[in-house]
Amino acid sequence: MKHLKYFLAGFLLLSSTLVSAANLQLQLESDRANPGQPTMGNWMHFNSVINNTGQQPIEGLVAWISLVEVTPGKEQPMDLEDWSAHKAVTGTTLQPGAILQTQWPMRLIQSGDYRVVISATDRNNKTVFTSPTIQFHVAQKPVVESTRILPVALGIPLLIGGLLGVQKYRHRHKSS
Amino acid sequence: MNASSLIAKKERSALLQNQRGLAWLLTYAGILSAFSLLLISNRELSLLDNAQVVYMMAGTVTAAGALIAVIMGSDAYAGERERGTLVPLLTAPVSTGELLLGKAIGLASAWVIMYLLAIPYLWAVGANGQNLGQAIFYLGLFGTPVVLGFGYLAMALSSRSGSVMSSLLTSLSVLLFSASPLLIGPGLRNSAIGKALDAVNPFSGALNTFDAVIIDSDPFTSQVGRLLLVLVWLGLTFALARLSARRPAFR
Repeated sequence: MKHLKYFLAGFLLLSSTLVSAANLQLQLESDRANPGQPTMGNWMHFNSVINNTGQQPIEGLVAWISLVEVTPGKEQPMDLEDWSAHKAVTGTTLQPGAILQTQWPMRLIQSGDYRVVISATDRNNKTVFTSPTIQFHVAQKPVVESTRILPVALGIPLLIGGLLGVQKYRHRHKSS
Repeated sequence: MNASSLIAKKERSALLQNQRGLAWLLTYAGILSAFSLLLISNRELSLLDNAQVVYMMAGTVTAAGALIAVIMGSDAYAGERERGTLVPLLTAPVSTGELLLGKAIGLASAWVIMYLLAIPYLWAVGANGQNLGQAIFYLGLFGTPVVLGFGYLAMALSSRSGSVMSSLLTSLSVLLFSASPLLIGPGLRNSAIGKALDAVNPFSGALNTFDAVIIDSDPFTSQVGRLLLVLVWLGLTFALARLSARRPAFR
């Protein structure tokens, strides 16, 4: 009898996990138009498909994009502030068998190796479902050069300020 | 040397040898420096394409130049009046036309100095990119009528109002309205009202040309209409200044 209880408890736990795990299926693909060798400043798009494979509607679906840097020695989750303005899809309802297709645009701000993943959960389910990850490398790009700008941006005002100082000195010298 | 040349020389030297003029130039250089430093300190901006940066710098130079021109134009008559030098000037053997011409040439000389000062900034932000030469050329061709036009408008108001503050505020309001395309991107100006304003706004004309020739490498032939717009603006504002300067408010 004791063994039967354990068996039933185990069966219920396993079956509920299986039902939950089967609820949402996430696919993620890199857009075909993405640059072959992405460089800083380029745009990349990722296409996700979220499929409700369960028997119940999914209420209050939330899906979001995450980016992780995996450059050796710099492994860290990335703040998407500069990278993407489209960070999540919220409040969607998915009927059984329905799919939600989303395109996630992203501007490549820094060079390095990155991995992108889409995660999803819903109002009632405590499980977070994740898509397969996509890894890409962002190449360095020569940007606006500070070596040219700094001497000009600081030098010209200093020069005019110097002339102004000389004028003031002369004016004071004259009046005294 | 005739009276106009003498007045123009005095106005030009006021910018380079006078504390107030140098302070204006310092303000102008400060605006360009702040924008340049923003480009290298902001990661998002530092990723912009070089041609885009040069276009933005050309727009900033035009706006900053127009700002200084408005200050100088507002000071042209009303400033003389407030300093008590307008009446002696009007009673001197100088016609009102010569006085205006002298001040107009003085303003043009000041713009030449500002334009020359802008070239190192354009080079600094855009030497790696495309169309830097075109940017410098078109800034001269389109920026000059726009900047001088605002200066002449301020001069006309200064002559009529007799108050630096009053003409400065009015001219600045017109300048702010005209320069709004600098803040509103071309996409947002794509409505019927936006297009209509673009068609008559000389500032938009200059900006759209900078966009077309610097970023899109468009030929000169496609810019003739916009060139006419900025030249008409220059002609109208100069005519207005000439009309107002005939009877300046000196009381």
